[in-house]
Amino acid sequence: MRLDRRRFLGGAAAAALGGAGIYELVDRLSGGSPARPVATGQPPEQHVLDLRTVQSEGVEVIVPPLHSEVFTATVQDVDLLKAQSRLEDVLGQLDAKYEASPAGLGITVAWGLPWFERVRTAADRHLPFDRRAQKSVLLPNRRFPSDPESTLLEDNDVAFLLRSDRSENIADAREALFGLDFLHVTSVRRGFAGGGFEGKPSLPKQLAMRAGVPGADLIPDTSELFLGFTSTQKAGLGPRLIANHETLGYVDLRGGYFHGGTHMHLSHISEDLEAWYLNFDFGERVLTAFAPGQKAHRNQQTVSQGPEDVQDATRLRQGFTRTGRFGHSGSIQPTSRLQQDVVGPDGTVYPKGTAIPQRADFNTLDNPFAFSANQARDRWSSDPTAGVHFVVFNPTGDDFERNRLAMDGVLPDGSKLEVAPRSRAQGFNSVLTTTHRQNFLVPPRRHRSFPLAEL
Amino acid sequence: MRALLVAAAAALALSVAAASAATPARGCPAAWLKGWQALANKVGAPVYCPKQMPNPLDAKIGGRYADIYSIGKDRSYLVSFLEHGDLGSGDVHVNFRGYPGRSAIPRCPGPVKKGSTIPCFSDPVGHMRANGIVATVYQVNQGADQWHILLAWHYERSLYTVSEHVIAPYRFSTQVKRNLARLLGSLVLVRPQG
Repeated sequence: MRLDRRRFLGGAAAAALGGAGIYELVDRLSGGSPARPVATGQPPEQHVLDLRTVQSEGVEVIVPPLHSEVFTATVQDVDLLKAQSRLEDVLGQLDAKYEASPAGLGITVAWGLPWFERVRTAADRHLPFDRRAQKSVLLPNRRFPSDPESTLLEDNDVAFLLRSDRSENIADAREALFGLDFLHVTSVRRGFAGGGFEGKPSLPKQLAMRAGVPGADLIPDTSELFLGFTSTQKAGLGPRLIANHETLGYVDLRGGYFHGGTHMHLSHISEDLEAWYLNFDFGERVLTAFAPGQKAHRNQQTVSQGPEDVQDATRLRQGFTRTGRFGHSGSIQPTSRLQQDVVGPDGTVYPKGTAIPQRADFNTLDNPFAFSANQARDRWSSDPTAGVHFVVFNPTGDDFERNRLAMDGVLPDGSKLEVAPRSRAQGFNSVLTTTHRQNFLVPPRRHRSFPLAEL
Repeated sequence: MRALLVAAAAALALSVAAASAATPARGCPAAWLKGWQALANKVGAPVYCPKQMPNPLDAKIGGRYADIYSIGKDRSYLVSFLEHGDLGSGDVHVNFRGYPGRSAIPRCPGPVKKGSTIPCFSDPVGHMRANGIVATVYQVNQGADQWHILLAWHYERSLYTVSEHVIAPYRFSTQVKRNLARLLGSLVLVRPQG
C-alpha cells in the first residue's frame, strides 16, 4: 500500500504538534506582535476594533489581528436574567483585563434568530427594521445561487468572535466563557491573518505548507490570503461606524435599544488552491479577483481598489458584455460601495465610493471547524484544508444579501448577469465552496449579554 | 508512531523504486526505443525519449502504461503515460508533446467566451537546465496538460514539452518539479531514420 504525501505530512504534523494545534505556529512564524495604536476605553460598539495601517505596494493596508477565533453555542434552559448577569460579569472582567485592541483582546458577542425567538415579544417590539428592504435587519439564513445544496444553514443562539495578536489572550477568554455552564458549545473556529506585510514571508503559505494542504506550495510567499491577493486595503473596508444600524439611514431603530449595533454574517468557505493556481494564470487570477481589464504588474498582490477605481453597475455590465465574465470585487462594488455621498447622524461625511461592509474574515486550516459538537452534521475532518472563516458586519441582513447576490451577478436593480452558478466566468465562485452559514445581530456593548432578556 | 514508521517506509520505497527505474544506458532504453523511433519517423523530426519515468511508469509506447498516442495533421504529437490508481494509490500521468517546425506556444480554447483562445501553456514560474536543455516551467496549462506542471523548450526551431499531473501520490508541485527535473536530465534525442 502506498501512503500519499498528504497523509504522511498530516500524521507527522499531528504528532509533532500534539494537542496544541497548528495555529500555535502563528506565534512562532509571525515574528511577534505588530505595533498597535493604544486603545482609549471600550467603544459603545462591540464590533469596532481600531487597527493600524501600513503601505503595501503603494496602497494603505490595514494590519489585521494575527489570531481570530469564533465559537458558537446554544443556550440551555436557565434563568435568563441570571445568565445575563453572569455572562456580563465575565465579559466585564475581560474588558477590564485587556484593552480593546489586537494588543489586548477584541470580543464581539452576536446573537442568532433562534435566540430572538426565545424572547419573541420583546424582539417584535425592538428588533431594528430595514426601511430600504422592508424587512427585519436579521433575516433567516439562506443559500445563494452559487452555494451548493450541501451548504449547511446553522441555528446557533450565539457566536463569540475573539480577536487578538496574542493567542494566550484568546485562550484566557475562551476558558472564562467556556466555564459558563448554560452555554453548550457547538463549534470552535480558529484561524490567522497577515504576518506578511513590509516584505516579510506571510503566514498563509507557511502554515499551509506545514499542514500539508494540497496546493500550499503554489501560494506566493508574501501573500496575505491563500488566494494570493491582499484583502484588507483600507479603502476596501468600511470606516469605523459605517456598518452601525443607524449610520446610513437604512434602519428604523424603533425604541433605540440596538443603537450602535450591527448585523454579522458568519460562514465557512473552503478554497481549492490547486484549481486556483494550476488552472488560472496570473492574468486570469487578477481579472477573476477584481474585474476584466484590471491592470496589475506581474505577481502584484495589493491592487488598489480606492473610490476612483471601483465599478458601478454600468461599468460592470459593459465589462460583462465585452468579455462574458465579471470579477469578484468589481461585481460587489455596485452594492458594497456608496453610490453617492452620505452624511452620517454624527455629521461624518462618507463620500461616494466608500466601502460599507466591515470584514473580519480570517484564514483557516479548519475542516470546517477546529471543533464540532456534531461531527457528522458538520462533515468534520481532521485533515487540514485551506479556507476562510468569513465574518462581515453590514448595517442590515439585506445589505449583506445584496453584496452576496452581487457575487453571483445580481445587480442592485435586481437584474442578473446571466452566468451559470459556480461558472469560471463568475469571480471566485468556481474555486470556493461555502460549507456553513448563519446570520447574527450584534447588539451594542451595553446590551451584548442576552439582549432583550430583561424586558 | 507506527503510522509514522509506515509512512517513512512508504516514502523510502517510493524513492527507491523511482531510482531503479533509471536506466544507465546512453540512449533510449532498448525496450522503449522501437516506439519512439517509429514516432520520430512518422513525424519526420527528432523526438525526445526519456530514460527515466516517475514511479511506477515506464515510457514504452504501446506498453501497459500507454494512454494517448496522437499525431496531428501538422505533425504535432501527444504521447502520454498513465497509471490510474483505482484502489487509492493515486494517478501518475506524464505527457510528452512535440510541435515539429513550430516554436510558438499553441493556442487552446478559452475557458469562458466561446471562440476565444488562450495560450495552452502560461504562468511561467522559472527555468530548469539539464542535459543541454533550458526549459521554461509553466504552471497553468490547458487541454491534456490541465492540472499539470509543464516544461517547454525549443530544439531546431521546434517546440517540445513534458508535463506531469499534480495529484497524489505526487501531491505537491515541488514533488512534480523534482520528477520533471529528473525526466529532463534523462531525455535523449531519437532522430528519424530512413
